[in-house]
Amino acid sequence: MAERSRGPGRRRRRGVAALAAFTLLAPGVAACGGADDGGVPVINVYYAPEENFQKVVDDCNQQAQGKYRIAYQVLPRGADEQRVQMVRRLAAEDDGMDVLGLDVTWTAEFASAKWIREWTGAQRDEASKGTLQQPLESASYEGKLYAAPKNTNTQLLWYRSDLVPNPPKTWDEMIQMSQDLKSQGKPYEIDTMGAQYEGLVVLYNNMVASDGGKILSDDGNKVEFDDGAVKALGTLQKFASAGVTNPSFTNTQEDAARLQFQGGSGAFQLNYPFVWPALQEGAPDLKDKVKWARYPGIDANTPSKVTVGGYNLAVSKYTKHPDESFAAALCLRSPEHQLFSAINDGVPPTIESVYSDPQMDKAYPFKADILAQVKDGANRPITPAYQNVSTVLSATLSPPADIRPDQDAKDLRGSIQDALESKGVLP
Amino acid sequence: MTAETAEKPTTHRVRPERKARARLSEGKKAERKLGWLLCAPAAIVMLAVTAYPILYSVWLSFQRFDLKFPDQREFIGLGNYITVLSNQYWWTAFGVTALITVVTVAVELVLGMALAWIMFRTLVARGLVRTAALIPYGIVTVVAAFSWKYAWTPDTGYLAKLFTDGAPLTERASSLAIIMLAEIWKTTPFMALLLMAGLALVPDDLLKAASMDGASGWQRFTKVMLPVMKPAILVALLFRTLDAFRVFDNIYVLTAGANNTSSVSMLAYNNLIRGLNLGIGSTMSVLIFIAVAIIAFVFVKLFGTAAPGSSDEGRR
Amino acid sequence: MAVIDQSAGAQSRLKNWRWGVLDVIVIVFALIPVLWIASLSFKTPATITDGNFIPREWTLENYRNIFNTDQFVRALINSIGIGLISTIVAVVLGTMAAYAIARLDFPGKGLLIGISLLIAMFPQVSLVSPLFEIERSIGLFDTWPGLILPYITFGLPLAIYTLSAFFRQIPWDLEKAAKMDGATQGEAFRRVIAPLAMPGIFTTAILVFIFCWNDFLFAISLTSTERSRTVPAALSFFQGASQFEDPTGAICAAAAVITIPIILFVLFFQRRIVSGLTSGAVKG
Repeated sequence: MAERSRGPGRRRRRGVAALAAFTLLAPGVAACGGADDGGVPVINVYYAPEENFQKVVDDCNQQAQGKYRIAYQVLPRGADEQRVQMVRRLAAEDDGMDVLGLDVTWTAEFASAKWIREWTGAQRDEASKGTLQQPLESASYEGKLYAAPKNTNTQLLWYRSDLVPNPPKTWDEMIQMSQDLKSQGKPYEIDTMGAQYEGLVVLYNNMVASDGGKILSDDGNKVEFDDGAVKALGTLQKFASAGVTNPSFTNTQEDAARLQFQGGSGAFQLNYPFVWPALQEGAPDLKDKVKWARYPGIDANTPSKVTVGGYNLAVSKYTKHPDESFAAALCLRSPEHQLFSAINDGVPPTIESVYSDPQMDKAYPFKADILAQVKDGANRPITPAYQNVSTVLSATLSPPADIRPDQDAKDLRGSIQDALESKGVLP
Repeated sequence: MTAETAEKPTTHRVRPERKARARLSEGKKAERKLGWLLCAPAAIVMLAVTAYPILYSVWLSFQRFDLKFPDQREFIGLGNYITVLSNQYWWTAFGVTALITVVTVAVELVLGMALAWIMFRTLVARGLVRTAALIPYGIVTVVAAFSWKYAWTPDTGYLAKLFTDGAPLTERASSLAIIMLAEIWKTTPFMALLLMAGLALVPDDLLKAASMDGASGWQRFTKVMLPVMKPAILVALLFRTLDAFRVFDNIYVLTAGANNTSSVSMLAYNNLIRGLNLGIGSTMSVLIFIAVAIIAFVFVKLFGTAAPGSSDEGRR
Repeated sequence: MAVIDQSAGAQSRLKNWRWGVLDVIVIVFALIPVLWIASLSFKTPATITDGNFIPREWTLENYRNIFNTDQFVRALINSIGIGLISTIVAVVLGTMAAYAIARLDFPGKGLLIGISLLIAMFPQVSLVSPLFEIERSIGLFDTWPGLILPYITFGLPLAIYTLSAFFRQIPWDLEKAAKMDGATQGEAFRRVIAPLAMPGIFTTAILVFIFCWNDFLFAISLTSTERSRTVPAALSFFQGASQFEDPTGAICAAAAVITIPIILFVLFFQRRIVSGLTSGAVKG
C-alpha cells in the first residue's frame, strides 16, 4: 500500500498500452473494431479505472500464450458514465466490446436486456468454484449465471478506540454512545453517507436487511416493502435526527465521510475499507486510535446483514470472440489476480480461499470481518430496473431526518412498483 | 418564429430600388443567389449534424420505449406528455429551473453591463481586467462546481465558516443561493463580453454630442447607448436564458438534486441516462425545448426590430 | 499649458484611482474562486481538506502527476487542436451567413435564423445517443472530425446571432463613401468595414472557443480513447487512490493548467475589441 499515489500519475504504462493497442488496431477499422493482431484475437475489456489493473492484464496476456491479447479500455470514474457508455454501445450492437466490468447492481439489467451472455458448462463451474455466495448471487439473474464476480466490497464500522472502548453492536447502542460523547464535549459524530444518491440507498438497505425486511419480492418483479422495510425507515429517521451526524450528512458521499472522520470530529465511521490506507497517509495522529468492527445491526442478538458491492465481469452478446472472452474474464478474476488486486488496489476478493493467504494479513488486517460480513451479506434488490428503484428510493429517503415512515412507505409501495414497470417519471 | 417577420413585405426598406417588387431585377436575383450561397455552408453543417437527432428525439417522445425492455416499445401518442405534465417532480423541478433562470439572468444582465462598462472604459490595466474578468467563463464548469462544493462545506472550505456555522448545502434556500451564485460567477463574463462588444459599436461622437447637449450620464446611457446596444443585449439575453434554463452541472455536483433542488435537465438526465427511459427522457427534452422556445419568442417580440433578420434593419 | 496640466493631471489621477478601485473589485470577484482552485492544486493530500485558503504545505506533486503521463498532454493537444479548428470554421461560416442575414434580402432568411435558434435550444443530452450512432456507422466516432462537427454545429447559432447583431450596426454606407473617394471594393472593405466588424468577430471567436474548450457532454460521449479525448473528458478518467477517493488535487491542477491557454487566447483577442466607431473612422 506504500505505492499509492493520487491522480493519474501512475498510469503512464496504461496510456502507452492503450495507445499501442490502438496503433495495432488502427488500419482502417474504427477504434471499436475487434480487429485481429496477426491472427491473435484482441479482447477489449471495458473496466473502471483501477490503478494496477493493467498489470493483471499484462500477466493474463502472458499466460494466454498468444491465444488472445487483452486490451484494457478504461472507463470513466463515475458509475453513471461507465454504465451509459457501455449501454450506448450495446444498444448499437457494437462488436468492439468483449468483456464488460459491471457494478453488481447492473448485472440483472444487462442480462434482462440480453446484452450479456450466460455462463455455462466448464466456464460457469470455474467462475463459481469457491466463490462466495452473495457475490455469486449478484452475478445471477433468474437462476442463471451472467457474470464472474471480480471483487466484492462491504462497509465496516470504524471507531475511535480512545473514545469508545467497546464497539457498539446495534444502531441504538451507537446513537446512545455518540450522544453520551457529545454531552461530554468529546468528538462524537457518526460519519457516513447521506447524500441523495446510491450511498443513501445502501445505508437504508443495511437497516432493512439487518432487520430481516424486504423491499422487493424474491423474484424482483413486485414491490413487497414489508414491516421490516417500514421499521428501517424509522431507524434511519431516528439516526438522522438524533443530532449525531456531521452537519453535512445530507450532502455526504464516501470520500467526504472519510474526510469528516479524518478531520477528527467523528467517533464512528461507516465506510468501505479504502478509508484504512487513506487514514495511514492522511491522519497519522489518528491511525493508532482507530479500530474496526462489524457494521452495527438492529437487534443485539442478530448479526447485522450488510450490503455487498463490487464488480462483476460479463461477456458481451456482440463479441466476435466469445470463447477467448470467457477465458480472459476468468483469468482477470483468477485467485492469484484477486490476491494481487486486493493487496495493490485494496479491492476485497470474491473467492473465499484468497482470504486465507498470509499476504493478505498486512494489507488487509480486517480481512476476517470483511469475509464474515460478505458471507452473511445482503444484496440490493436484484431486478433489471434497479437503477429506477434506487433513484426513487434515494429521492424519497432524502433528507433522512424528514422521513415519515408510514406515509413514505405508502408512497414508496406505489412509486417502486411504477419504477419496476418503468412507468411514470423518475425524480 | 422570426420567419414570419422576415417574410413580411419590405415596405419600409431604405433603399428605394427595393420598392419595385413586381419583377425581380437582375441585381435582386444576384442578391438572392449570393445570400443563399453565403448561408448554405452553415445551414448544411447544422442540418447534417442535428436534423436526424432532433427528429429522432421528437419521434421517441411519442413512444413508450425503455432501453431495458425493448420488447415493450410501442407508439403511445401524447401519453408521455400527459405522464410528465401530471407529475409533481416535473413541476417542482420546473419551478426551481424558472427561479434560477429569472434570478441569474436578471442579476447577470445588471452585473454584466457594469462589468462590460469597466472592461471597456477603464483607463488602468485594461488587458488585465478584461482577461481576469473572462477567466471564470473559461474554467471547466464541473471543476468550478467541485471547488464551490469544497468551499461551502464546513471543515473543507473557507466560505462555510465565514458565513454560517451550519452546512449551507444541506438546506434548500441556501443550496439554491449557492447554485445561483456559482452560475452567476461563471457566466456573467459571457454577458459582459457580448455587451462590451455592443459598447464598442456606440459611436463616440454621438456620446459627445449628447453630453454637449447637456444629457446626464444616465440619459446618455438610456437614450444613446441602450438603443445602439439593443441587438447585442438581445443576443446576450437570449443565449444566456437558453443556457440558464438547462442548468445541470452545478446542481449535479453541488447537491445532486437533494432538498428539491433538481432542475428539469437533471430530471431529463435521470430518466434518460440513469433510467434508460428514452420515451420519457425525450419527452422532457421536447418540453424543455418548448419552454425555451417560448422564452425566446417573448424576447424576440419584446425587442422587435432589434432581432436579427427582422426586416426593418439598418436603422439607428 | 502648464497651468492647465496641473489640474488636468490631478483630475486624471483621481480618475485613474477610481478606475483602479473598480478594476480591483472586478479582479477580486473573478479571481478569488480561481485562486481557490489553484490553492487546492498546490495542497498535499493531507491538507487538501483543511479549509485554509492558502495552503499550509505546498507541493507540486499534483502537477508532476498530470504531466507524468501522456494522457493529459494528449488531451491538451486534442483540446487545443479541436477547439481552434472548430472556432475558425464556425466563425468563418458564421461570418458568411451573418453577413447575408444582415445585408442581403433573400427568401429563407427567417427560416435559417429560426432553425439555428432551434438547434441552440434543443437539450443536447438527448441528441448525444443518435449522434453517437451516426458517427459510429460512418467511422467518425472517436476522431477529431467527430468532435469538430458537433462543435461547429452548436457554435454556429451563437456565431450567427452575435455576428449578425453586430453587422447590422455597421454603417455600411461608409463603404460606398470610401469607394466614391476612389478606393477599390477590396480596399474599402479592408480599411473601413473590416475594422468595424472586428469587435464582433473576435467576441464571437472567444465565445465559441470557450464553448468548445469546456464541453464535456460530447467529449465524453463521442470519444473512447486518448486519440481524440479532450481535457474536460480526460478529467473524468483521472484516478483517485481508490474507487471512492476523488483525485481532487490532480483535477484542480489540470483545471489550473488548462486555464492558461484560455488566458492567452483572451489576452490575444481582447485587444481587438475596441471602439471601432470613432469620429476618426467616420471622417476618414
